[in-house]
Amino acid sequence: MIGTTASLLAAAALLLLLIAWIRADRALRDLPFGSEEWGPGPDKDAGLNGCPPEFVSQIFSGRDLAYVGRLNSQELERQFHHERNGVALMWVQQTSAVVQRIMRHHLEASRRSRDIEFVTEAGIFLQYAQLRAACALLFVGIGLSGAQQVRGIALYADRLSQHIGQVAGEFDASLRVREMKGARPS
Amino acid sequence: MPLQQAYDDLVNRSLSRIPCELGRLIYLASTREYNTGHYYHQGLADRFGPEAAQKALEIAHRQAFYKVSAYSLENLAEELERYLESTKEEPLECLRAWQKLEPYRVAVPADVSATVARLFTSNLRLALAILRFRRGQSRQHP
Repeated sequence: MIGTTASLLAAAALLLLLIAWIRADRALRDLPFGSEEWGPGPDKDAGLNGCPPEFVSQIFSGRDLAYVGRLNSQELERQFHHERNGVALMWVQQTSAVVQRIMRHHLEASRRSRDIEFVTEAGIFLQYAQLRAACALLFVGIGLSGAQQVRGIALYADRLSQHIGQVAGEFDASLRVREMKGARPS
Repeated sequence: MPLQQAYDDLVNRSLSRIPCELGRLIYLASTREYNTGHYYHQGLADRFGPEAAQKALEIAHRQAFYKVSAYSLENLAEELERYLESTKEEPLECLRAWQKLEPYRVAVPADVSATVARLFTSNLRLALAILRFRRGQSRQHP
């Protein structure tokens, strides 16, 4: 009996996830002029400037929704959700792309380094895994309940991505210094 | 420091005459050549040199863009209303043209965060819809 209930619950949860994923995916496709409107051009890294933290807070804030709610128009509210969820999903995509790029650079730097600190590397990869999980959760959460409901996860993901960028950047800088010292004639 | 001087001159002379931040953004975007993406301002270039003028315009454009993008929807709707009043065109006609042609899309500077660029155009679409809605309401209940 318990097995059947658990299976039904798991199936319902999976169905819910699938619906949320489809809704999020559709929201991305339905964005005006396609989801690549401001995406990277021929220079792949050009469109991948990180989003300043104050804008992340603004995108996921409930303040604008409260304002639109006071106007008492269902059409405006529908349009607001459509627009803001699209921006939020784009931020998730961009954050994921920026961190992937950072990790790719970091991996290349790690391969060149002779003295890798296991604890530091494990820490970075753990945070990277957390960030990817947060992005997946955000993608589903935005599709399911809207950007304002997942604000906490978005702010957490933003802090993680900044931390990963900072740690990887420091590692790369120290590697460059070591390489320059090694290149000098003794 | 010709760049700093050019920037101060731009802010204190040209931009201070424009009554709202959205107007300043549109003005700065209009100094950018569509084909090359370079900024050009005759008076500024004559006084401080073309390079300093180009850089000052580029910096001011980016600053104005981030400032407008950071507005709440309520503030942006007010700002848009102020801008439309300042153009001296028929406001409803202007609203329709902006909704149809989305001319504000050319106001996005190069090399800014793609997400903020999206937020900017998305918020302007919403602000335009809000102003249209408000005008419809005031016609129904004068």
